[in-house]
Amino acid sequence: MKSWRSILVPGLFCVFTSGLLVAQQAPPAIPDPFPAMNPHAGDREAIRNGMSLYRSRCGDCHGLDANGYRGPDLMALIAGGATDERLFQTVRKGVPGTEMPASNMPDDQIFLVLAYLRNIGTVAASDAPAGNAAHGAQLFAAQCSSCHRVAGKGGRLGPDLTRVGSARSHAALVREIRNPGEVIAPNYETVTVVTRDGQRIRGAKKNEDTFSIQFMDQRERIQGYLKADLQDVIYEPASLMPAFGPERLPDADLNDVIGYLGTLRGVDVNIPVQPAQE
Amino acid sequence: MRAIIGYVALAAAACAVSLAAQGTGSITSQEIAEGLRDPGRWLTYGGDYSSQRHSPLTQITPANVNRLVPQWTFQTGTTGAFQATPLLVDGVLYVTGFNNNAWAIDARSGRQIWRYRRDIPSDLHNCCGAVNRGFAVLGDRLFMTTIDAHLVALDMKTGSLLYDVELADYKVGYSATVAPLAVKDKIIIGIAGAEFGIRGFIDAYDPMTGKRDWRFWTVAGPGDPGFATWPQTGDAYKRGGGSIWVTGSYDPEQNLVFFGTGNPGPDYYSQNREGDNLYTASLVALDADTGKAKWHYQFTPHDMHDWDSTQVPVLADLTINGQPRKVVMFANRNGFFYTIDRVTGKVIVAKPFVETTWAKEVGPTGRPVLLPGNIPDENGTKTCPDLGGGTNYMSPSFDPSTRTFFVTARETCATYYSWEQPFQPGVQWESGATQRPRDQKNFGALRAIDPVTGARKWEFRYPTVSSSGVLSTASGLVFNADGDGNILAFDSRTGKNLWHYQTGSGIRSTEGTTYMLDGRQYLLVPSGSTLVAFALMQ
Repeated sequence: MKSWRSILVPGLFCVFTSGLLVAQQAPPAIPDPFPAMNPHAGDREAIRNGMSLYRSRCGDCHGLDANGYRGPDLMALIAGGATDERLFQTVRKGVPGTEMPASNMPDDQIFLVLAYLRNIGTVAASDAPAGNAAHGAQLFAAQCSSCHRVAGKGGRLGPDLTRVGSARSHAALVREIRNPGEVIAPNYETVTVVTRDGQRIRGAKKNEDTFSIQFMDQRERIQGYLKADLQDVIYEPASLMPAFGPERLPDADLNDVIGYLGTLRGVDVNIPVQPAQE
Repeated sequence: MRAIIGYVALAAAACAVSLAAQGTGSITSQEIAEGLRDPGRWLTYGGDYSSQRHSPLTQITPANVNRLVPQWTFQTGTTGAFQATPLLVDGVLYVTGFNNNAWAIDARSGRQIWRYRRDIPSDLHNCCGAVNRGFAVLGDRLFMTTIDAHLVALDMKTGSLLYDVELADYKVGYSATVAPLAVKDKIIIGIAGAEFGIRGFIDAYDPMTGKRDWRFWTVAGPGDPGFATWPQTGDAYKRGGGSIWVTGSYDPEQNLVFFGTGNPGPDYYSQNREGDNLYTASLVALDADTGKAKWHYQFTPHDMHDWDSTQVPVLADLTINGQPRKVVMFANRNGFFYTIDRVTGKVIVAKPFVETTWAKEVGPTGRPVLLPGNIPDENGTKTCPDLGGGTNYMSPSFDPSTRTFFVTARETCATYYSWEQPFQPGVQWESGATQRPRDQKNFGALRAIDPVTGARKWEFRYPTVSSSGVLSTASGLVFNADGDGNILAFDSRTGKNLWHYQTGSGIRSTEGTTYMLDGRQYLLVPSGSTLVAFALMQ
């Protein structure tokens, strides 16, 4: 058996998608000065074009109706008062620490998308009111933090949730807690390898190719194996995260947990310049 | 070693002079027609005019392929991945890359001789990346299409620009990525950009002057019999798509060039383009001198799934039911493998090579027998394969000795949406989108197909889909890559995997080439933005 410890694992997501992407170039700047009004606002034809652009570029994560799927509910953002400038900036620069990438779309196309979102953004937001975040934090510490990390504290087997409040819609959080197997992020699929001597090791898959597999086991050890050295590789449709049904997490508690998760919007990791020592 | 020291020591101009001494450096159309007969050359995209990508070389064999080791790596220092097939002329590799870049490279050492770069306009409209599929060579000139829809001719020795022809207006979405095809005294190219509502064409240009000799519209217009398959009023045909972005093949005996054509536009919403939409999603056989169509065969009439038929047509002479037949083989993005009589254009064999849910079969007239429930709409309909198709731009290969067609297959499905979208010049005009069904597990495979029956001989599966082409050799090897950076060698008769090497990046379009240099057989693999040259360990 040959295994590698502490190897660097490139994201499988990047491997999957790199064939479809244009080269990573520095995104264009934000228009300066930013126009006081979207040049396409209210233009029916432009809004139709914006819908097409939105559905093909954004709909997979934010939902075809923009009410959020995995990504945040954009109608809630708009209802919450997000300005065009802020939305433009988010599209252009992406959101670090989330799946939201920076976009190289021409300025005009971003304005088309925003015109479309503004046009449908008059409907009520889908996000339900948040629960008791303080109680949610206690529940999270007791039931979730052994696997999920927030602001540098907690486990690492599951995704880091430091910014989950700005990365997930309310509906997506409910879905992912009640039924975590429905959508599993590419770097967290469940796998069990069976070694030549019959040892079974279960973990979250980080990468794989035809001849090798890399995963984090349940003790958070990064493991890499050549498939030729294994008896078997078992891919499991279920998530490593247990389903938190109503019997395990009543609706009120779920709402409190989601209330807490909604407060997680990232932390400032920049270390201030320190004065030179005399 | 002599050459290596020389190149390192001398400036680029001096290198060109020393290379001139190694060979004539001037390629005739007859030499291209002779294909891979000279083992030290690779003169056209598909290796020869048949596009079989089957090398006669036998130094690397099933018995010793496990001794292949890297000899050198060339890094472009640019972003973006290779999709090109490098040409080899007298010890020098000529290859195009991402963002209108191109290089001449010493094939012994991997050292750059010259570099060409053309600026990309800031207002470029492009759906799918500023890729390029390679040079054509004729005389002492190289020919390259550019992402901003030009054809440029370069001096082989220096990379300097000899002429620059505008093919179409990039500002409204035209682009070009195809490796030109040099046939007799013509440079044949195609235009891309169908996602922006362009009208596609195939052109022939004079290699010396850049003057256009002929044009074939891939979307029929008034006066063409194919126009009956488009709305007779309005501008549908002017925006009808039909891109060309993969190099065709040439049959010298019939003087016909064969090109697969792209899908009609807009991609998904098709109510405003009633009819079969000729000559999109078709194979066209054109007289090389005039550009007139001798015949056409439409794989996917009135396509609604973005299934460009821009795959490589592979020519061969087969014995079918005891009769010698001149055929063209075509593994299509729509999921069917076809063997077609290349004299008449009639279908001989048509059989799915991946899961297909849109057509029950191809009927006796050559028309697909459609299955219900596959028309994209605003609510979405699930169809297999996905928009990427059963295969795509990756080159297949054909081993005539075992009568085996090798293709990189994609097992995929998608939910297709469509909605009406007003046309606007320069704005992406797909009128729909696709999503991967949430329960869908895609995978890839290298498949070996008998072109006489369409039956699968063997397959080797990969965990993810691959975009790599295939290369086979007379020693009984076939090379292909998985979707995750591994280059693999197989026994071409059994599909047994014999060797692999992790290159670190996905391999796209072409698996690479093989050639002899100084008595050694090289395997050259474009991977990501690098070229890696392998040879047997000495």
